[in-house]
Amino acid sequence: MKDLDKWKAKVEADDFTDDEKKVFDEMGLKGSSRRTFLKQVSVASMSLWATSYFTNDLFASTMEDLPEEARVLLNEVKVNLRVNEMSKPLNIDSRMSLLDALRERLALTGTKKGCDHGQCGACTVMIDGKRKLSCLTLAATCDDKEITTVEGLAKDGKLHPMQEAFVKHDGYQCGYCTPGQVCSSVALLEEAKNGEASYLTEDLSTIKKDLKLSEAEIRERMSGNICRCGAYNNIVQAFKEVHSGDSEMPTWEFATQEQMENAKNA
Amino acid sequence: MKTMNKTGVGAAIDRVEGHLKVTGKATYASEFPIENKVYAQGINSTIAKGTITSIDTTEAEKAAGVLAVITHKNAEKLNDFKKDRYQISTDTIAPVLQSNKVHYYGEYVGVVVAETFEQAQYAARLVKIEYSKANDPKIHFGKERGNAFFPAEDSDYSRGDMEKGLAEADEVVEQTYITPIEHHHPMELHAVIAEWNNGKVTAYASQQMLEDATIAISDTFQIPQKDVRVVAAYVGGGFGSKLNVERHVTLAVMAAKKVGRPVQVTVTRTQMFTNTGLRQKNEQTMKIGAKQDGTLTALSHDTLSHTSPNLVYQEPCGMVSKMLYNSPNAKVTERLMPMNLQTPFAMRAPGEATGSFALESAMDEMAWKLKMDPLEFRIKNDTQTDLHKNRPFSSRLLVECLRIGAEKFGWKNRKDQPRTNTKGNWLIGYGVSAASRNSPYLKTHAKVLLELVEDRVEATMQMDATDIGTGTYTIVAQTAAEYLGIPVEQVKVELGDSNFPVTPGSGGSWGAASYCNGARAACENAVKKLKDNRSIPEDKEVALAELLKQNQLTKFEMTGMAEPSTEFEKHSVFSFGANFAEVWVDKDTGMWKIERMVNVGAAGKILNPKTAYGQIIGGLTMGAGMAIAEKTDVEPNFGNFITRSFADYHVPVNLDMANIDVIFLPEEDKIANKMGIKGIGELGITSVAASLSNAIFNATGKRMRELPITPEKLIEAPLEPGVQEV
Amino acid sequence: MRPFTYTNAKNTQEALQQTTATTHYLAGGTNLVDLMKEDVERPDQLVDVNNLEFNKIEKNQSGGWSLGAMLNNSDTANHPDIRKNYPLLSMAMLSAATAQIRNMATNGGNLMQRTRCPYFFETSMPCNKREPGSGCGAIDGMNAVHAIFGYSKECIATHPSDMCVALAAMGAEVEVQKPDGSSRRIPFSEFHRLPGDRPEKDTNLEKGELITQIHLSTPQFSDNYYYLKIRERSSYAFALISVAAGLSIQNGMISRVGLAMGGVAHKPWKLSEAEEFLKGKKATTENFEKAAELAMKDAKPFEKNKYKVEMGTKAVVRALQQAINRTA
Repeated sequence: MKDLDKWKAKVEADDFTDDEKKVFDEMGLKGSSRRTFLKQVSVASMSLWATSYFTNDLFASTMEDLPEEARVLLNEVKVNLRVNEMSKPLNIDSRMSLLDALRERLALTGTKKGCDHGQCGACTVMIDGKRKLSCLTLAATCDDKEITTVEGLAKDGKLHPMQEAFVKHDGYQCGYCTPGQVCSSVALLEEAKNGEASYLTEDLSTIKKDLKLSEAEIRERMSGNICRCGAYNNIVQAFKEVHSGDSEMPTWEFATQEQMENAKNA
Repeated sequence: MKTMNKTGVGAAIDRVEGHLKVTGKATYASEFPIENKVYAQGINSTIAKGTITSIDTTEAEKAAGVLAVITHKNAEKLNDFKKDRYQISTDTIAPVLQSNKVHYYGEYVGVVVAETFEQAQYAARLVKIEYSKANDPKIHFGKERGNAFFPAEDSDYSRGDMEKGLAEADEVVEQTYITPIEHHHPMELHAVIAEWNNGKVTAYASQQMLEDATIAISDTFQIPQKDVRVVAAYVGGGFGSKLNVERHVTLAVMAAKKVGRPVQVTVTRTQMFTNTGLRQKNEQTMKIGAKQDGTLTALSHDTLSHTSPNLVYQEPCGMVSKMLYNSPNAKVTERLMPMNLQTPFAMRAPGEATGSFALESAMDEMAWKLKMDPLEFRIKNDTQTDLHKNRPFSSRLLVECLRIGAEKFGWKNRKDQPRTNTKGNWLIGYGVSAASRNSPYLKTHAKVLLELVEDRVEATMQMDATDIGTGTYTIVAQTAAEYLGIPVEQVKVELGDSNFPVTPGSGGSWGAASYCNGARAACENAVKKLKDNRSIPEDKEVALAELLKQNQLTKFEMTGMAEPSTEFEKHSVFSFGANFAEVWVDKDTGMWKIERMVNVGAAGKILNPKTAYGQIIGGLTMGAGMAIAEKTDVEPNFGNFITRSFADYHVPVNLDMANIDVIFLPEEDKIANKMGIKGIGELGITSVAASLSNAIFNATGKRMRELPITPEKLIEAPLEPGVQEV
Repeated sequence: MRPFTYTNAKNTQEALQQTTATTHYLAGGTNLVDLMKEDVERPDQLVDVNNLEFNKIEKNQSGGWSLGAMLNNSDTANHPDIRKNYPLLSMAMLSAATAQIRNMATNGGNLMQRTRCPYFFETSMPCNKREPGSGCGAIDGMNAVHAIFGYSKECIATHPSDMCVALAAMGAEVEVQKPDGSSRRIPFSEFHRLPGDRPEKDTNLEKGELITQIHLSTPQFSDNYYYLKIRERSSYAFALISVAAGLSIQNGMISRVGLAMGGVAHKPWKLSEAEEFLKGKKATTENFEKAAELAMKDAKPFEKNKYKVEMGTKAVVRALQQAINRTA
């Protein structure tokens, strides 16, 4: 496990980016305990769960280190999955969805199963740069395609601006639809740049690049990602910030004492 | 609060677990890397009532990868319900596969365990089941009226004299409002990984209330509660559906025992219609009497709902009508009909979400009859006493909510006459509704662990609380920061493990008040103990790091407990709110959209406006869903839910929502609890559907008394008497 | 999902050669994979046709453009030539599903979409389309989203596509290749069929035939077009009723008109009588209303979809008005 050694060295030198520190903190591995934790673990005793954190890139996964599972498979298909710039050859059941391959075989559980039938968007990933649903994509069809999941968005230990904006604008609640929302938003940035149209586009015949999307346009184009917690407005705000630098939208305020008095005495 | 803390209580900080959520590192139930794990798939009945006459598992057992097929024939004996009409709660047992009887369409009748998910799914289809169908399944709401029963002692309520009140009235509104079966549908599919180890079981499960979950599992399997551990570090939404242990958990625990390996069950979205609870259909009849000047003289609210054949759950729809308005004469009844459908269970604001649709629609209808501004009509009937319990409210700022909201919204621009505010093909309408939600507070334990690292203190909070999107991690961290006097960055919060100190779990809008006061108690105890040890007066401010040093400690831990005071018991504690909505209805096609919303909430101390705003807009969105399209239909000939997927059951999408202004009233309700907190998680959904329906009336002159308000219903609805076709 | 073998065809010949009686061609998979998970579709072999050469848009000999069957819906709807020359088609396609699904779903696959009738999806229910002879559950059951035109007592399901409604309004030809390598062209109006006593057959494709291209004639309705979609929520929902309307106006008169309705029949429902009526007339609301009446006069709704008659009438008028308002 060469990645682990790399991480131990980084911990000793306290050589982390701010985003890396944050993720460690939220995992509960703070300051001194980060060091203690890593000293205690050995390759043998490390659970798969922990393994997925200690990779050459914190925000990706170490697919090379995953055990090759020996299982009775029907209609076995050999497929080379290239996920987040890493590559893993797998033998899979022809029935396996890309979603299940990511979650159950590659320990990339960031991509979520919300319905398994293409009706919610929680499993959104990018395949060859386009946002798609991993639940309706058979893993067998993904041989050598470039797949990007939520784990692959941060680069050089730094969150993608869209990830930062989601944190800043509280673009989630339970967090389960979030990876899909974030992937979808990142893809939408490109779609807007390319001038892709939506059902709400006023004039389809005139083709323009670098669209500045209205709020309604953002909502329509993000409607493929259901958020049952209802964080839509915050998601739109997060997207707007990255898309146009303008995150102005109504949110919350406190009533003033004057308002309270006036209301009482009206 | 002792110190001004930039990251303490009340600060609008980002969620402390935010990075984990946006990077996909937050670990939900089915994501724990349990080695040697296998997969199970539940099989569901395909009749509404009857018995299983034969089960042939041969083909399934022979299928590749299959490890076991469990049906009622070979399932282990579990604790079962000892009597009929058993009143279920959040710690009720969840027996499954105990007999050949089928009570409803979709009930679990078997489970297949296999090496892979694909193998389990496929083999589940290979199990051949034959049934003897009963010829009298109770699947028609309308045909079961005669079988309605009286579910509980407090199902009927009255004060004053309804007949007298109606006789005194100048106008009477009598109408029936229907809300359909609705489903919670959190985005995370219910899931569990069950693992046995030396007679002890651990369930990584999406549950809202961990202590109750351990009770339910131990009671179901008749093992000591200490041998059950439930882990729910992150829960992908609940809305009530994960309050109690549902039978897929039992299936997993049972299967794991049988095959001797950890078993994962992920409930399918279709199974989430039939096996993880629902909000039942309600038929609510309102009768309101008022004088010409708007004084209420009578208010009755009669609800007819359904429950399952053998178990009882009753949603208190009439609760709002008991306490919201100053009607001297009032009557509330609740009746239940046993039907061959799964047992309903609490869905976000059970009672208020549905009851307020009936009450706040009827109030609007009365205002129309009286030719009175619906806002003023509500304000006129405000009361500062809870006429139901006959005691004061701990605080009640409903009038403030309504007035401040009206100002923000521009209520004065509302046109009294429907169909007079138009733009192109759109009819524009404004609607208002009042909201109230009971704000409970329950006994809560917490532990704080302090560690001196170099010159600063790092604190860890431990509670068996859950964060179901509600912001628990964040507000507990802020509470600890506040009461320990350290920045929130030095606080780590560990939740979601039943081994941690007991809390009431997440539900019923008690989470924030209970969790934070529990955390506060532990932190206060810790500081006090450290001061007491060194005989430092309590009011003397000493930094926590200094205190540890003076105690010559590098580590220190302390527990705390908080519970309601006697003052709390002497008052009615509710959160209050007001909803304003502008809707645009297409005059021809029946399509309508929300243009904007304003919500005002008086919910005690706001712990973090950012996460509180999330709770409110989330409630508004789900409330909008009730009005827009949410509905589960029962197939009239077979008794299954014909709406069986997210493609049939339409929850709101991003484009359904619009700009929302939320105003919090500055309030600290010290009677409610020491920190002044009241619940907010369910306030947001309450009466939203009514505000939208009232706005649709104002736009179109059509009174929509049955949810959801779909284009087809709007097209068919007649104009109300007195409305001019403009 | 039942077990199946998976083959990735490198070219059309390879795809056609591998097909057997129980093969399904796999393109975007957005409908097929879903139906396989539901155990409604039960192929024992999937031949992946995503990598075949029919993945572009090109000019054809009749002065129009041809759509590759394997090109996805997003790239088709966004193609500059389609947006400029057939914006009605783009608009209809963009109203469908979501960006993610449109990025996957192909043009050929869109034509092959199966009904959303809930009885078809639930294998424990009777459905003649899924299991011939088992009966139609919807006819005396929950039929709110079902047909009002052209159904039979065997099946009252509707076709769910938006793209196909626009194609029906515009007219097109579907080119298919047979396993023996020969090809044929099917007029779009004859591609889908009414249920009759064979509701299991959605289209007139023969076993093993593979859709390769959709040929469009000269550019149509680039100024006056609208695709109206009435649904239960604002996005990501199938239509209760949809109308594709395209008009050409010359000297104040309607010179050419394309009108079709979705959500009302087993196939995209061409409103021929209404089209005929409008030709040579002025584009007035009064004429639109008369056309709408003609369009709906043969509607025969069921217990729960009576609303579709009025909704359909209003929808035709509105779609035509919106088409005119583009340049008004």
